[in-house]
Amino acid sequence: MGALNRNQRTSAPWRVGVLFSKTGFMSVIEETQLRGTLIAIDEINDRGGVNGRPIEPIVYDPGSEIRSYGQYAKRLMVEDGVSTIFGCYTSSSRKAVLPVVERLDGLLWYPTLYEGFEFSPNVIYTGATPNQNSVQLCKALMSQFGNRFFFVGSDYVYPRESNRVMRELVRNNGGTVVGERYLRLEADRSEFVPLVREIKEAQPDVIFSTVVGESTTFLYQAYHDLGLNPKTVPIASLTTTEAEIRAMGYDVGEGHYTAASYFQGVETARNNSFVSHYQKRYGGDEPTNMCLEASYFQVNLFARTLEETNSLDTRQLRTFVMGAEFEAPQGSVSINPVWGHADVWTRIGRANRQGQFDIVFESQASVKADPYLIGYGRCLENC
Amino acid sequence: MQRTGTRYPAREEQVPDMSRADYGHDRWIGGQRPENRVAVEERPRQAGLPAEFTVAVIVERDDNGEFLIRELQRQRVAVRHIWPKPAQIPLQYDAIFCLLSDDLPQRIPWVPGEPSSALILVDDGKAPLNLKLVHNCAAHGMLHYPATARMIQSVLMMAREHFQYERRLRGRIDKLDENLRTMRLVERAKALLIRLKNLSEEEAYNFLRKQAMEKRVTIGAVAAAVIDSHELLS
Repeated sequence: MGALNRNQRTSAPWRVGVLFSKTGFMSVIEETQLRGTLIAIDEINDRGGVNGRPIEPIVYDPGSEIRSYGQYAKRLMVEDGVSTIFGCYTSSSRKAVLPVVERLDGLLWYPTLYEGFEFSPNVIYTGATPNQNSVQLCKALMSQFGNRFFFVGSDYVYPRESNRVMRELVRNNGGTVVGERYLRLEADRSEFVPLVREIKEAQPDVIFSTVVGESTTFLYQAYHDLGLNPKTVPIASLTTTEAEIRAMGYDVGEGHYTAASYFQGVETARNNSFVSHYQKRYGGDEPTNMCLEASYFQVNLFARTLEETNSLDTRQLRTFVMGAEFEAPQGSVSINPVWGHADVWTRIGRANRQGQFDIVFESQASVKADPYLIGYGRCLENC
Repeated sequence: MQRTGTRYPAREEQVPDMSRADYGHDRWIGGQRPENRVAVEERPRQAGLPAEFTVAVIVERDDNGEFLIRELQRQRVAVRHIWPKPAQIPLQYDAIFCLLSDDLPQRIPWVPGEPSSALILVDDGKAPLNLKLVHNCAAHGMLHYPATARMIQSVLMMAREHFQYERRLRGRIDKLDENLRTMRLVERAKALLIRLKNLSEEEAYNFLRKQAMEKRVTIGAVAAAVIDSHELLS
C-alpha cells in the first residue's frame, strides 16, 4: 500500500468485484451490464492487461435481492480482499452497498442512470442524472405532445425521486400531472391492465414511465393491447432501453420515447466497432443499451486510471480518475471532478420497428453532471 | 449515582444455564464472590452510561477472560458472557467484546458501516497480528491481553463514543439530505406566493412560517401543501 510503485515486479492479477443480477426480475438489464463489464475486462486482458497484469473479475449474482447486494459487497471486500467493485442497477441496491464501501473504504463504480442527490467519496457514478436526461425529455414532450402528464413507476427509490424532479419540471413550465401510480417491482402482467385503463380515462398527453425490470414489458404490452396510440399519447421513459424493447416485442415498443446518454444507433466509429464486437460475442440480434455501454466505458476508465496509479488503493484511484476522459461509444465522456459523476451525453430516441431508437435529439457535447440540480435552469428555456 | 437500574447483583440464580445450540454459557454474570461487591462500592459507574447498559463478552473464560468480565462488572454495566463463540453475534447489546478470530467478519451479522452495537475486538496475542482482519471487522476498539483495568475502562468508553458519534454523523447526513429537499420546496412555494399573492420575498417566507407554527407542522409540509394546492387549482 502507499506510494505509486512502478518497480513492483509481479504478474499477479488485479482482482476486482462484479455485482449484477443474472437471475430474478432485474436480470433483463443487469445481465447486459455484466456483459459490458466482462467484455471490457477481456479486451483489456487481450491487450496484455494493465501494466502487464490481467484484471480478474470476481462475480457474484445477488439474484435481484436488495439485501444480497450489501452482503456480497461485504464478502467481496472482506473475504475476497477486493476494494474495487463494479455493480448495481437499482438505487436500492446501490444504497445497500454504500455503507460497506464507505466504511471499508472501497470504490463502487455505478453504471446506471439514477435520481441524483447523492455524493459519496466511495462511488464513481457513470450513468446519467436528471439534468442529463429528464430536463431535455420534458422540454421535448411538452412542445410536441402537450402538458398533461401521467406518471407511472415501480415502487422504489428511483421512480419516486425522479418523478419528484419531473413533477417540478412539468409544473414550473405550466404543465400538470394528471395521475401518479406506483406498482411493486415484481408486479405481474395482470396488474398493468387496470392501470392502463386508468391512464386512458385520465386522458394525459404523455405517459412518463419509470417502471423498471421485467414489468416494463407488461406496461407496454398492456398499452398495446388496450389500443392506445403512441403517435398521440406516447410512453416516455428514462429506463426503457433496447433490452426492454426486445423483451416486449418490436411492434409493441414502436413509437415510444426514451431519453438516454447512449443508444445502439449512435453513429460514431467507436460505437460501430463496439456494437460489432459485442454482437460477434453474444449474437447478431443482441442489442446494446445505455447501461451496458456505461458498464463498458467505466471499466476502461478504471483500467486507464489503474495504469497511472499502479495500485488499487481507493484514494489513489479516486484522485487520478477525476477529470479523466475517455472516448466512449456514446462519444467523449469524462469524470466531473466536482461531483465524481460522469459528464455524459443527452439524447432522445424514438423506438422504431427494428427495435432500435431513431435519435430525435442530441446534445452538442457531453453535458456536465449536476446531481443536486444546483445549476439547472428554472425553466426549460435556460437549459 | 447509586446502583439503581443496573443488573448487578447478578442473576446467576434466576437465569438457568441456557444450552442453546450456539450459546454455550449464555447468562448474566454475577459477582458471586464477595470481593467483587466490595470493589463495586468503591468505583463510580462509568460516566454517562445509561441505566441499562448491556455488554456481551464473547471470550474464553480463562484468567484473562475472568479479569475482563470482573472489570466490566466493576463498571456496573450488565454483563453477559457467551461462549463458545456463536455462529452469529447477537444484536441486542449496547457493546460487545469479542475474541478476534479469522472468521469473525463472517459472524458479524451487520454489514460494515451499519453496526448495531459498539464492537471491541479482543486480541489474545496468540496469532500474529493481522491488520487486514482488524480492518475487515470495522470495529470501534481493540483490547489486547493481558489487559489492565484502565485499558478495559477506557476502551469501553472510547468504543461507545466512537459508535455513537458515527451514528450521529450518519443521522446528520440523512437530515441534511432531507433539508436539501425541503429547501427546494420552500423556494418553490415562496416563488408561487410572490407571484400569486403579490407578496415580497420576506412576506412570503413569513406566511409559510406562520402557517407552519399555527398548524404545528414543518415549514416543508406547508410548502408542499402550497405547491400541491396550486397544482389542484390551476
